[in-house]
Amino acid sequence: MKIEGNTPESAGAENVLPALLTRRDQAIGFFEKAVSGALGWARKNSIFQYPFVTACCGMEYMSVMAGRYDLARFGAEFPRFTPRQADLLMIVGTINVKQSPVLRTVYEQMCEPKWVMAFGVCASSGGFYDNYATVQGADRIIPVDVYVPGCPPRPEQVLDGLRILQEKIQSQRHDASTLEVAEDVKKRGLFTKLFGG
Amino acid sequence: MAQALIDLVRGKFPDAVLSSASEKGDESIAVRREALVDVCRFLKDEAEMKLMSDLCPVDMLTFGQEMTGGGSLASQEATPYALERKPQVEPRYRLLYNLYSVTKKQRLRLVIELRSDDAKVPSVTSVWRTADWWERYAYDLMGIEFTGHPDLRRILLYPEFVGHPLRKDYPVQKRQPLVPEHDFPDLIRGPGPGPGGAGLPMSQTHVGRQNVDPTTYD
Repeated sequence: MKIEGNTPESAGAENVLPALLTRRDQAIGFFEKAVSGALGWARKNSIFQYPFVTACCGMEYMSVMAGRYDLARFGAEFPRFTPRQADLLMIVGTINVKQSPVLRTVYEQMCEPKWVMAFGVCASSGGFYDNYATVQGADRIIPVDVYVPGCPPRPEQVLDGLRILQEKIQSQRHDASTLEVAEDVKKRGLFTKLFGG
Repeated sequence: MAQALIDLVRGKFPDAVLSSASEKGDESIAVRREALVDVCRFLKDEAEMKLMSDLCPVDMLTFGQEMTGGGSLASQEATPYALERKPQVEPRYRLLYNLYSVTKKQRLRLVIELRSDDAKVPSVTSVWRTADWWERYAYDLMGIEFTGHPDLRRILLYPEFVGHPLRKDYPVQKRQPLVPEHDFPDLIRGPGPGPGGAGLPMSQTHVGRQNVDPTTYD
C-alpha cells in the first residue's frame, strides 16, 4: 500500500535535470523554485492547526497554546475547530480503534496542503497501550509528518517539533497553478527582499 | 457490624446463601444464581443498600496457575494446542456485586459463580438502574449474558468487535482494526498487526470488518 501525503521533494526524480535544457526551461524552473520558496515561506509561518485532542496530552497542548510558551510566536496562531480551515492536524493523545474512522474522516476533510503532527507517544506509537483497543500509532491510519515524543511532551518539545515541521514545509515544493503569483509578489517588492532578486 | 446484615440475609433466604465470609469489615455472600434478584431487592428495600457501586466480572481460567494471562496465550491467535492445554476451571466466571449503603456506611459483596457453558445470570436492572451500564460492561468485555436486560449490547467496544477481550483466553496481541492500516515497520517492537505485518494474511487482520457495510468506513 502506498503511503499518500507529503514527502520531501529533494528525494524525488523531479529535481534531476534533463540533459537538454533550454534557457526557457531554465527560466521556468527558476521561477517555479522561487514561487515554491515563497509559498513555503508563507505557509510555514501561518500554520492553522486542528487539535484532535483525545487524552491527557491536551493539557500540554493548552500549555503550549497559552502565554508562557505561546505557539503563536511561530505563526501557529489559530486553532481552527473545523478541519476544512486547518493546515496542520495535531493528533493529541491516544487513538483507539473505535475512533480511527473519525480520525481518518477528519484527515480526509482537510484541504491540501496539509500536514500531521503526532503529539505524544500514544499518537506516535500507541505508547504503553499495547492492547486490543488502541491503534499502535496514528501513522498506521494516516501519514504523519512530525512525531513529538513524550508522555506527555514538554512544551519545548512541541515547539521543537513545530520548527522541524516548518523546515520540512520550506523544503517541500509548493505548486502555484500559474506564475502570476510570482509576478504579484514581485510587484510588491517581497520577491527581491526574500530571494535577492 | 455487618455480620448482622449477613445473618439477616441468611435468615430471610436460607436456601439462597451458599456461603458467607466476614473479615475486617470485608463482608461477602455467595448467592445462588436463581435467587439473585430477590436477594438484591431485599437488600435494597430492607437493608438500605441503595447504591450498586460496582459489578466486577472475574475470569478464573488461569487463577493460581500463572501470574498473567499466560505466555502460551500471548500470541496473535490462540493456538489449538494452547486452548486444549488450558486448565479446566469450573465454575470459570465470578461476578462480584459491590453494594454500599450510604445511610449505614456499610459495604457488602455478593458473589455469583458461573460455569463457562452457562454464563448467564438474571439482570438486576429492575432493582438498580445503574446496573444497566454495569451489565453491558460485563457483557462487552467478559461475555456474560444477562437475561432480562433491556438493551444488552456493547458499551465500550465497537459493534464489529469479535470476542470478549478481558477473557483470559483472548490472545493478547490480537488486533481488530476498523480502518485498513498501513504496513508500517516498527523497528522497536517488530512488525505490527497491519497488513503484511507479523506475517498475517489480510483476512486475519480484518476479522472485525466482515459484517460492516463497506460504504460506512474508509
